[in-house]
Amino acid sequence: MTVVIGFEGSANKIGVGIIRDGEVLSNPRRTYITPPGQGFLPGETAKHHRSVILTVLQEALDEAGLKAADIDCVAYTKGPGMGAPLVTVAIVARTVAQLWGKPLLGVNHCVGHIEMGRLITNAQNPTVLYVSGGNTQVIAYSEHRYRIFGETIDIAVGNCLDRFARVIKISNDPSPGYNIEQMAKKGTKYIELPYTVKGMDVSFSGILSYIEDAAHKLLSTGQCMPEDLCFSLQETLFAMLVEITERAMAHCGSQEVLIVGGVGCNLRLQEMMGVMCKERSARLFATDERFCIDNGAMIAQAGWEMFRSGHVTELSDSWITQRYRTDEVEVTWRD
Amino acid sequence: MAACMSENGSERKLEFFLKVPFPSEREATIALQSLSPDPEPRKGGITKNLDLSGQTLSVRWTADEARILRVSVSSFLDHLSLVMETMDAFGPPVSQ
Repeated sequence: MTVVIGFEGSANKIGVGIIRDGEVLSNPRRTYITPPGQGFLPGETAKHHRSVILTVLQEALDEAGLKAADIDCVAYTKGPGMGAPLVTVAIVARTVAQLWGKPLLGVNHCVGHIEMGRLITNAQNPTVLYVSGGNTQVIAYSEHRYRIFGETIDIAVGNCLDRFARVIKISNDPSPGYNIEQMAKKGTKYIELPYTVKGMDVSFSGILSYIEDAAHKLLSTGQCMPEDLCFSLQETLFAMLVEITERAMAHCGSQEVLIVGGVGCNLRLQEMMGVMCKERSARLFATDERFCIDNGAMIAQAGWEMFRSGHVTELSDSWITQRYRTDEVEVTWRD
Repeated sequence: MAACMSENGSERKLEFFLKVPFPSEREATIALQSLSPDPEPRKGGITKNLDLSGQTLSVRWTADEARILRVSVSSFLDHLSLVMETMDAFGPPVSQ
């Protein structure tokens, strides 16, 4: 029996989760939400995490009904992500690991999402679309690495959505992406936007500039409603993601797609991906908001796999890093 | 906690010393190992050295500019107090 506690705080969510042999015992989380029109900055995000992390940690233990002695390993996000919040969380993880006399494990955030997706959905060997506010990658497993087949060459798709939400002052509660999704359902007019797939990769910064500009012009002249812009943006961004996912599937001869990351909660994205999968007789896997959105249990799960295959992070090597490629991790726990 | 600041005119460097006593050597070690792994965010213009002497954690900074020094010290104190709060809430350390 192996029990791992995982700490996650690379963006505006702070979560602590406990996993025992594939069972999620607890997974409490808090989100730092900024007023409409504002994004979250590293210093303030770190301050938020610092103010709640010990409470969330206690909650995780209480909900799981466990004591420190029951934990076998302390996992935390080594990167990628925002520096200040990553440091705050790593400091607590290092401290409790030492207080409790348990080994420490630095986990790659992207690998955390993938391993949680695999655990929850039981997908065997899917083409993974990892889409969030900070990352956009198409990943496939091959020979002990999660290889990146395609990715954004500038900003993440979630970042494009979040920054557009700021322009039209959509609420960030519970998340800007969720509110864009609700508004998009009421859109009736399709506004043509640039479509920027670059081979296996995608680009979003041009679309963002275009729609920021278009929003000012079209909304002020009453040519369209904000709902129409939300609808058009989603349709364009998601079609691009479906295209690069399909391209990777064709390369790998894959019959499974797994969507992970916060943007993966979006039902319209799941619907569009589902249409493509059906056409190819492939299966689509996705998780709900408990696990697509950043959470502690996903770090615990990746930590569980790593720990059981012999990985450990020495304290002196436990520094955090804002840049950490998914394919830098040696996936020793899979064949 | 004792701190002093001196300005060395010829090298134009500012210095700051901090000495933090802990209830035990074990706890001072835990604090040191939690606070030392991450590099300073700012690459140039500041150095920070942590050291352990019995139950006391000592930190020495040198910086070119006062504002860089202030930011680094302030940030360190935030992290230090987080370590201490964590030790209060989830300590004492288990026997080795």
